[in-house]
Amino acid sequence: MKTNWQLFGGLSVFYVIMAIIYYYVGGEAVGITGMILAACLAGMVGFYVWFTQKRIGQILPEDRPTAEIADSAGELGFYSPHSWWPLPVALSAMALGLSLVVGWWLTLISLGALVISIIGFVTEYEKPLPENASH
Amino acid sequence: MTTYAERPTIDATTIAPSAKGKNFVKWITSTDHKTIGYLYLMTTFAWFLIGGLLALILRAELSRPGMQFLSNEQYNQIFTMHGTIMLLMFATPLFVGFANVIMPLQIGAADVAFPRLNMLSFWLFFFGSLTAVAGFLTPGGAASFGWTAYAPLANSTYSPGIGGDLWVIGLAVSGLGTILGGVNFITTIFTMRAPGMTMFRMSIFSWNVLLTSILVLLAFPPLAAALLALESDRLFGSHIFDPANGGAMLWQHLFWFFGHPEVYILALPFFGIATEILPVFSRKPIFGYKGLIAATIAISALSVAVWAHHMFASGQVLLPFFSFMTFLIGVPTGVKFFNWIGTMWRGHVTFETPMLWVMGFLVTFLFGGLTGIILASPPMDFAVSASYFVVAHFHYVLFGTVVFAMFAGFYFWWPKMTGRMLNERLGKIHFWTLFVGFHTTFLIQHWLGIKGFPRRYSDYLATDGFTGMNMISTVGSALLALSMIPFFVNVWITRKSPLVNCDDPWGYGSSLEWATSCPPPRHNFLTMPRIRSERPAFDLHHPHIKTEGH
Repeated sequence: MKTNWQLFGGLSVFYVIMAIIYYYVGGEAVGITGMILAACLAGMVGFYVWFTQKRIGQILPEDRPTAEIADSAGELGFYSPHSWWPLPVALSAMALGLSLVVGWWLTLISLGALVISIIGFVTEYEKPLPENASH
Repeated sequence: MTTYAERPTIDATTIAPSAKGKNFVKWITSTDHKTIGYLYLMTTFAWFLIGGLLALILRAELSRPGMQFLSNEQYNQIFTMHGTIMLLMFATPLFVGFANVIMPLQIGAADVAFPRLNMLSFWLFFFGSLTAVAGFLTPGGAASFGWTAYAPLANSTYSPGIGGDLWVIGLAVSGLGTILGGVNFITTIFTMRAPGMTMFRMSIFSWNVLLTSILVLLAFPPLAAALLALESDRLFGSHIFDPANGGAMLWQHLFWFFGHPEVYILALPFFGIATEILPVFSRKPIFGYKGLIAATIAISALSVAVWAHHMFASGQVLLPFFSFMTFLIGVPTGVKFFNWIGTMWRGHVTFETPMLWVMGFLVTFLFGGLTGIILASPPMDFAVSASYFVVAHFHYVLFGTVVFAMFAGFYFWWPKMTGRMLNERLGKIHFWTLFVGFHTTFLIQHWLGIKGFPRRYSDYLATDGFTGMNMISTVGSALLALSMIPFFVNVWITRKSPLVNCDDPWGYGSSLEWATSCPPPRHNFLTMPRIRSERPAFDLHHPHIKTEGH
């Protein structure tokens, strides 16, 4: 994870330096804004990874040169076997785009479809809380 | 006494859905990164054929002076859609396809980090690209303002009709899919590597996928913003790209702030494919592994600071800054060439089909890179800007990397994807016809540009002296199109050839995808070898040769 945040952090610093140089040689506003935003994006990702690494507090098996495959044994994680939801989300996103050309009636329908399908997508594997949950 | 009758059993086979329907549902609801990758590869290849067909129409129109069978407006629509399809519906998603199929295997992951998001990316790309091309079905025809959609040409006054709106909307939707794909790949590489697979043991292809995804995150949001603003201009009459308040330059800056990183989004993954293939057929480890990674990082960093070299002729950009930065970004690209040649140097090089394609890539992309250095110099750029010299340059760069490396990747990973080898002889015929066809089409265009034939013109006069060169180019394009036939024949005749039944049919595979079966099982690995170098599969299959131990 160290390489990862250093990569993003380094890119962020580089973009800031480029923006400053570009400003001093007489660059225009669009490019300076673009480079500063690029620096913010890279900096945000870098900060998040750095922060996560600090919170984990140990070197993960994938970052240890001498790790054995068994070091990450255990549950592999949950993988969706198949899912219908991506299709309606993308279809209604396309319909929402098309509605700009077709007419406002389609905007309303496709916006509703998009919201419903996103809810379906997000909650597909949500389990209901157990009955005696404390909250 | 009671008698019992046998309870009738319902024959399950009669009511089960047919295998075809079951397979169809399995494909469209898949969350397997390999299946999604194959969907990407097939869809992008279909777009490649459609875009190629449009190119053939353009070449046929230009073969002789006079208008052959198109109107000017149709010509404009066709070159616009040719560029759009080839860049945003073929080359960009082709990267996503290869990354999906290969990258999780190379880092030893069971899938990508967000399998359903992966499928969502595919559907957004699929429907978005259909929307963008749907303009051909409207009365006014498709978008005709060039794939760069310069303001004010792209506004509703100069380009009325819904073809342009569909183009803008389609690209915005498809671009969203690309952004989500980039997020998915970065997360996968950061969190799902196998134990021992440190960042500096990852294959070069996976590194390039990571850096390409970072560039996607930097480049596609500005494009999405610019497209939505353009649509607001076209639809609601806002004045964001109104030339009266500097909108023309604003569009060019925003577009190329996306457009130049986009060139590297198209190049880097295909550099990665070439870098995977070279060591396997040179029987040597990659020469300068860390140098290659450093070069790729340098390219990703510098690529956000070179955009305005596309705008030299506007006369409103800082020529010294952008010229210098463009020369600078040539350095890491040169380092890569150095490393590729160093990999082959004194190796036992054999020329199986994938290696042949990589040779084609090296030659073609080198030409494109060299003309790029010429164009980076403003005095020389002014002389040939917006001429066929530029057309030849970017076809050498993009066709050289994307198409040559795509076929290299197809021939190389075909056994990994299908379990069957493609035919070597047909592969070689395919390569040589395509190679000769490509260079006949585009080499001559350098001279055509120097003589002054401008790009995007549908016609020229017989007295201009362009006829002979245009005819040669058109003949070359026909040969280029014919070169696809051996490939289709190859895919068809090898569809039932014997399975390779081994992990590594090429014998010297280095990265982890060669340590699992062909094709890999659902979650990729039944057993995983110990990872102690950047060549885990090689260490597994050739344990007597110690590469780099810890």
